[in-house]
Amino acid sequence: MAARKESFESRLARFRTVNAWWIRFGCYVLSLLLLFGAWQAFGNSFGVLFVPFTTTMGRLWDMLQNGPLLPGLLVSAKLYGVTLAINIIAGVAIGLALARIKLFSAAFERYIYIIYATPTISLVPFVSVIFGFEFGSRVLVAVLISIFPVLLGTMEGARSIPRQHLDVAAIFGSTEAQLWRDVIVPYVTPFAMSGIKQSIALSMVGTLVAEFFLNPDGVAAVLLQGTTVVDSGWVLAVTIFIAAISVVLVGIGELVERYLVRWRHTAVG
Amino acid sequence: MATYSSRIEAPAARWALSTRWLTRERAAPVFAGLGFLAVWEFYVRAFLPDFVATPLGIIQAIPTTVASAEFWSDVSITLRAIVEGVVIGSAAGVLVGVAMGRVREINWFLSPYIRTLYALPLVALVPIVILWVGYQPAARLVIVVISVFLPVAVTTADGTRAINKDYLDVGKMFGARTRDVWFGIALPAALPFIVTGIELGFARGITNAIAVEVLASVTGMGMSVFTKSNELNENASLVYVLCLAVFAVTVRSLMVRFRQWLAPWYHR
Repeated sequence: MAARKESFESRLARFRTVNAWWIRFGCYVLSLLLLFGAWQAFGNSFGVLFVPFTTTMGRLWDMLQNGPLLPGLLVSAKLYGVTLAINIIAGVAIGLALARIKLFSAAFERYIYIIYATPTISLVPFVSVIFGFEFGSRVLVAVLISIFPVLLGTMEGARSIPRQHLDVAAIFGSTEAQLWRDVIVPYVTPFAMSGIKQSIALSMVGTLVAEFFLNPDGVAAVLLQGTTVVDSGWVLAVTIFIAAISVVLVGIGELVERYLVRWRHTAVG
Repeated sequence: MATYSSRIEAPAARWALSTRWLTRERAAPVFAGLGFLAVWEFYVRAFLPDFVATPLGIIQAIPTTVASAEFWSDVSITLRAIVEGVVIGSAAGVLVGVAMGRVREINWFLSPYIRTLYALPLVALVPIVILWVGYQPAARLVIVVISVFLPVAVTTADGTRAINKDYLDVGKMFGARTRDVWFGIALPAALPFIVTGIELGFARGITNAIAVEVLASVTGMGMSVFTKSNELNENASLVYVLCLAVFAVTVRSLMVRFRQWLAPWYHR
């Protein structure tokens, strides 16, 4: 019996479906190999401004062992931690106040949007003139860059609580404390969490900006040190180090959100 | 849509002034704004040196700053660089994003880079770009292009991947070729996502353009914000900040309008 010859396209489609996992794995491996290979070749021919991949990794290892990287990271981590904590606490509190207290939101909401839209980095000189170059100003700059997802997310969440939920709670005679515990907090949590997830990544941006522009300090200072002496291996190594940390932080943010928002699909749809 | 519980609404209504146009809700932002400016003005006058900016000082500095040729050249240089970067970055981002959204293998191949760079605070890329491109305006353009390219590529990929299957089936029925599917079905369906990406990229582009200007000493508005401040001309420095804020707010509201015009069916 003469089977109809299968068209190339449908065979290709079948191949792609059957071997999806291998193709995916292969794509990742190929893409990384190509990057490292191209980097190595490029670095070998250009030298000074673009050191090869292996040299960069060697430098990174060296800087981690006995270089300024880990002490710098410690300084940055402190700023990052304080910033993120303030973002979460103050962001949720202000967001709830904006949603639940009409007068407060009438008074401040538009100003908050204006501050949000203003490129915070341009406020750095002003902040430094008033508050100096110390830890407090760094925190202020970093918070101004990274608080808004939490604040606005919480606000939107608290505003979208369906009227019926509040009415039902009122009918059953719930006290203000019960209303918060049983209705508001569970409803707002997913919204706040997605803001916190963004803030986990943005706080890193805030930390770096604060460290770059208010008398260099921490990891940013280490990075700038390499630029002033035109040492591309140094700068590349620190950049990769920062990239690795950011990827980890973004991953943590996604995990946290996924864990705390298991019921979100039913609550928000 | 704001919803408030009755227990908060009731007292607010009771306190409301009787005249209808002058409600507490209308008066509040005016009082809050004026109060903030007054506290700022008096705090600086009472406790801080003369050169620190105050609201009245900024208003006085506006005519002299805006009249200078330097101001307009700064504004045109920086804004032009940002707009150029946004155009180049968006175009590249859309092309790469559609390819990533429609072809799984391209997505797998590129996503390690795109996702890593997207996670990385782009300020961290400024030093290496300055090292490669030099202490030049080109460094600013490169950074703005990257700042816009990444969010646009990611949102376009997400938008073109998540198209309604019905659209594809109808397209196939009418004999759509790959090119038609990409640019006739997937791209229009992803438009709201793309505009969101451009909006995000615009905001990051402005910030990162300023970062490059300051770190690489490239002439422009961001550079002037810092130099004016170093020359103890804080009021003029804040006029620049004001100008940047107006630009950022304008862009934001224009993007919202743009999205409504481009994709009127999309509500968010």
